[in-house]
Amino acid sequence: MAKSKDYYEVLGIKRDAAQDQIKQAYRKLARKFHPDLNPGDKAAEEQFKGLQEAYDVLSEPENRKLYDQYGENWRAVKAGAGAPPPGWEGEPRSRRGTGPRTAGVDFGDFGDFDFSNFGTRGGGGFDIFEEMFGGAAGRGRGRRSGRGADVEAELELSLEEAHRGGRRTLQMEVAEACPTCGGTGLKDGKPCETCGGAGQVIRPKTIEVNIPSGVRDGSTIRLAGQGGIGSNGSEPGDLYLHIHLRPHPVFTVKGDDLEVELPIAPWEAVLGAKVEAPTIDGKVELTVPAGARSGQRLRLRGQGLNKRKGGRGDEYVRLKIVVPKDVNAEERRLYEELSRISGFKPRS
Amino acid sequence: MWPSDFDLDEPLTFDVVAATVGAKRTLVARLAKQGLIETVDSGTDEPLLPRRVVVHLRRMQRLRRDLGVNFAGAAVILDLVGRIEQLNRELAEMHRRLK
Repeated sequence: MAKSKDYYEVLGIKRDAAQDQIKQAYRKLARKFHPDLNPGDKAAEEQFKGLQEAYDVLSEPENRKLYDQYGENWRAVKAGAGAPPPGWEGEPRSRRGTGPRTAGVDFGDFGDFDFSNFGTRGGGGFDIFEEMFGGAAGRGRGRRSGRGADVEAELELSLEEAHRGGRRTLQMEVAEACPTCGGTGLKDGKPCETCGGAGQVIRPKTIEVNIPSGVRDGSTIRLAGQGGIGSNGSEPGDLYLHIHLRPHPVFTVKGDDLEVELPIAPWEAVLGAKVEAPTIDGKVELTVPAGARSGQRLRLRGQGLNKRKGGRGDEYVRLKIVVPKDVNAEERRLYEELSRISGFKPRS
Repeated sequence: MWPSDFDLDEPLTFDVVAATVGAKRTLVARLAKQGLIETVDSGTDEPLLPRRVVVHLRRMQRLRRDLGVNFAGAAVILDLVGRIEQLNRELAEMHRRLK
């Protein structure tokens, strides 16, 4: 929700702005903050929600007039079809949300964004769009029946979670039709006290998500029927979780393969050695061949990430020869001796 | 525990996709024909659409609704946003490795 509730301020326009100026301002700011152009950016998402709310109100002359007259309470006035109730202080909640919200997890609150309700925004100017999209579910904001909204959200996982899979419990908030007024926003001709005239109430919901083994950055998990509720007995929408993997402090992911840098001592490189190398499942013994070069990659077959349809990728260990910063007297003497007797000429 | 699809490869018919996103079937077919949405070969005259197209179409619809771009423009935008995301990931990875 935007911090400023003054819709004119949100859109950066004067109070006497013409309708096309409102649309122009909205489009300009939407280009900057649209969630599809700023994936995973919570701040942009919040900004955009505020913009949408402001545009929804100001782009419809009737609503704009009520807003100009009654400010934030315009919706209650509209719902009550009369003067605002005395002492009314309730903040109107957008009617657009029908999808889950989440709390406590890094998970987009797209409830008010309402992805499915495209095509019939008020204010005109979308006629071509309306013409092209017709008939099916999830269309109009004003529809009172139809499939629930599909909801999209982001879910951040560790590399280990993506590799092994598992369960995640997500705390969500779901907007549902108000049980008191049945979603009309009115009770006995007055704004419903339960929902403040919004027609919706938010209730907490917990869902357990099965994270499949082999999920990757950019994968999407679909939870059928976990999106917005359908109205009048219609089927609910789906929940789409877009997966983002947190950068791993040790491994670099390259498709199904993992890459790790392994420091080795100069003598280990020259003489060869058995060293411990990290893998996603723990440490394994790795044989460094004699005469190993810095940057050389050694493959640990089948030690990469679990693949979606079985099998595993490989791990590549990139050797990095490091030299000691400080050497004691004995080490120095040995290096000097080596320098004297060695025939190795790296620059020839 | 809810069953979950993964990567949305499940092939769907044009009718199912159109019904899911609330679009006319002819529009979905046209977008597929223009190469603006991904299709998979079905072995028949009419290809199928992987389920991820549902997400893609919804994004295109939102961009059209909110920014006023046409579908071709929306497809380009989504492609570029995807590339920027990928580059950002690579950049973050490079920064991590340099530390």
